Amino acid sequence: MAMFIAKRLLMAFATVLVVAVLAFLLVHAMPGSPGAVSLGAGAAQEAIDEVNQRLGWNDPLAVQFFRWLGDAVQGNLGTSLIDGRSVSADLASRLPVTASLAAGASVLSAVLGIGLGVTAAVRGGLADRIVGGVVGLLVALPAFWIGIIFVYLFAVQSSVFPATGYVPFEVSPQDWALSLALPVITLAAGGAAFIARQTRASMLEALQQEHIRTLRATATPTWKILYVHALRYASLPIVAGIALQFIGLFGGSVIAEQLFAMPGLGQAVQSSVNTHDAPAVQGVVVIATVVVVAVNLVLELATKFLDPKLRAS
Amino acid sequence: MKLLSTPARRSAAVLAGVLLMSSLTACGGGTQAASTVNKDALTIAVDSDSASFGFDPLRVADAQRQFFEGLYENLMTLQPDGSVAPGLAKEFSYSADNTLLTLTLKEGVTFTDGSTMDAALVKANLDRRSDPALSAYSAITKGAAQEMTSVTAVTPMKVAIKFAKPQPGFEKNLTGTMGMIVGKTATAKSASLAATPDGSGPYTLDATGTVKGNKYVFTKNEKYSDAAKYPYKKITFTVIQDPQARANALVSGQADVAALTSPTVDFAKSKGLGVSQIGGTLHTMVSFDKIGKTSPAFAKEKVRQAFQYAINRQALVDALHKGDIAAWNALPKDSAGYTEELNTRFAYDPAKATSLLAEAGYANGFEFTIVGSAETQTDLQAVQKDLSAVGIKMNIKMASSTDEAFAAVATTPLGYAALGWDNPVGLMYGVVLNGFTNVQKATDEQLSAATGEAAAAKDDAAKKTALTKLNTRLVESGWMIPLYESLTNQGYNTKKVQQVKFAGTNAYPLLSSYAPTN
Repeated sequence: MAMFIAKRLLMAFATVLVVAVLAFLLVHAMPGSPGAVSLGAGAAQEAIDEVNQRLGWNDPLAVQFFRWLGDAVQGNLGTSLIDGRSVSADLASRLPVTASLAAGASVLSAVLGIGLGVTAAVRGGLADRIVGGVVGLLVALPAFWIGIIFVYLFAVQSSVFPATGYVPFEVSPQDWALSLALPVITLAAGGAAFIARQTRASMLEALQQEHIRTLRATATPTWKILYVHALRYASLPIVAGIALQFIGLFGGSVIAEQLFAMPGLGQAVQSSVNTHDAPAVQGVVVIATVVVVAVNLVLELATKFLDPKLRAS
Repeated sequence: MKLLSTPARRSAAVLAGVLLMSSLTACGGGTQAASTVNKDALTIAVDSDSASFGFDPLRVADAQRQFFEGLYENLMTLQPDGSVAPGLAKEFSYSADNTLLTLTLKEGVTFTDGSTMDAALVKANLDRRSDPALSAYSAITKGAAQEMTSVTAVTPMKVAIKFAKPQPGFEKNLTGTMGMIVGKTATAKSASLAATPDGSGPYTLDATGTVKGNKYVFTKNEKYSDAAKYPYKKITFTVIQDPQARANALVSGQADVAALTSPTVDFAKSKGLGVSQIGGTLHTMVSFDKIGKTSPAFAKEKVRQAFQYAINRQALVDALHKGDIAAWNALPKDSAGYTEELNTRFAYDPAKATSLLAEAGYANGFEFTIVGSAETQTDLQAVQKDLSAVGIKMNIKMASSTDEAFAAVATTPLGYAALGWDNPVGLMYGVVLNGFTNVQKATDEQLSAATGEAAAAKDDAAKKTALTKLNTRLVESGWMIPLYESLTNQGYNTKKVQQVKFAGTNAYPLLSSYAPTN
């Protein structure tokens, strides 16, 4: 197991490194130099050259990359070309927003999706058809449209939840939860449908297994058969689905952040791209990659834990 | 098979409860937020990040004046009626030939960095005009229309500004971001303004509550000499780019005031919110190239005039900008220079456009490229269809970067801009005649003369005459091809905020004009 983890960690590190190199090269391929970006469109060439010189923009690419990498591993992702602030500090303040959204939506979509999927598989008949219809609808509706409807119902027509904004947990846990409610539901709707489909298919297969029939014959309680034995058997694709959902939501939270005016990574990357703030763009790409790689790593470990055959190997 | 189960039933019951609650609350109908009213704090929802380039007021245009008014003081101040009054400069006077402006400064002004204002500091501020990044100073740089040749500290509290050409009425410019003064630390090291403001204004930035690009929290600066003019202890600017989300924030109480787009005005009103409206922003196509450098056809005035007849403005407004006003005038409806005559003279007439093109030698039309953006794309597509009907093929190229969008003024013949005409003379000198929309250095004697007349006008009647000439010539020359005038809408929670008023024709209310209800 230790060797497995070590190998995977090495792979994860390599992946992050490759993405960091690509992000670095892409940023350098963007039109305009840091000097031109920070001084504005009408800046004199001498002034632009001076800023570029100060930032080491004229150094060989390899030198620039390793300088950036050296700083990055120490937690310093550089400074914004626009306002001179630390990219790491800015992203650190935004990470909790996006992480709250993605984690909240993943948990909610998992709970709803598994519930609906199990119900459809176990009850069959009308329940299965109703769940199928609901799932089909949720898959078809765009997330932003669902968000608009929820805002209209729960924030505009009534004041159950706020329509916009984000309250940090440390300021008020209750307001934090309220501020996350609508965006999380918005993001979770599509994910729940995806997981419900996955769960239904896996559960149908699980319920046909020999050991489940044996358990029924031995009068094991129904809930135990379903949620301990069958669901565990069916859990591998479901866990993979949830992990993929989290990754997708982490990257796709920009819609919710825009719609609900939340200061997350999506909003940061949008404004950084608009202002050509290369260090900030690079920082977001690397942070997002680290999250994706970490989630994949956890997924692999979870898969190994859940599947006895894999564990034995 | 009946394997399930009480938990499933419970879940169904909870779900049903949630749906029932939502339907009940929905049935309750909506009114504006009646949450606990805190009259010490004001939240303003704005459509863009005023501080995306930091807190240097000279790096932004007058559209950001309201935000920066909280942090900085102006040499002259804009009054609620749109007039000009003393600010950091308590007095001003011009030389007989209007080439020398002398400002007498107020005493006892302290900046965030602890420095105090004197003539040397004001000179140091204005001497930053050679910095090309300072867009607020673009009109006073070397070679620009309102060039300042020198700034001198005559006495510790008196500054003399020498202009290259006569500049009567220049004091109006000092009410905008150009007139904002930053402290000594920021003057010496302007990079510090990227993250930290250094002003003497009515508020200071609360860095702990501020999240860049999302919300900016201002707390009252008790050292400010006229603090009573600003009734709120705390003002939060919250950035909500999506127009519907902004309206929703206002309705549900996350904002007390919000910049609304025309399509969301009726929604806001239906929820019991107040909406104040003012015109003034002209969405207009601008002929960048009047000498035919990038497209020979644009050198001909008849070709540029053909555009005026070829575009169906009313159809454009009906389809894409409901609630706004179709425009044939280059100046806004509230402007002194507005004239109904242009509306009929240049009414939609594709046949006339075709004949003008033929007279100019382009009977078979011509082709050119315009650089568009996500905001302008649909408007340009509508115009494209109209132009195509008279034989002009306009290719739309979406800008891949801000640099490309800016560079378009030199590389393409036509552009599209939203222009505020609160200060027509400043706009003409700073943007149209010598500014970035005329990099090909085209000249038009009538336009220059009319601008000069407007600048020198001593009374309202003279100003009206000059501005009418200016407006008429802008349209008949095709330097401007107006499309529509958008209304600026300020929605406000009537339970918390008094009716929002605009300062004269300025589209952005004074920060000091927001006041709590009694």
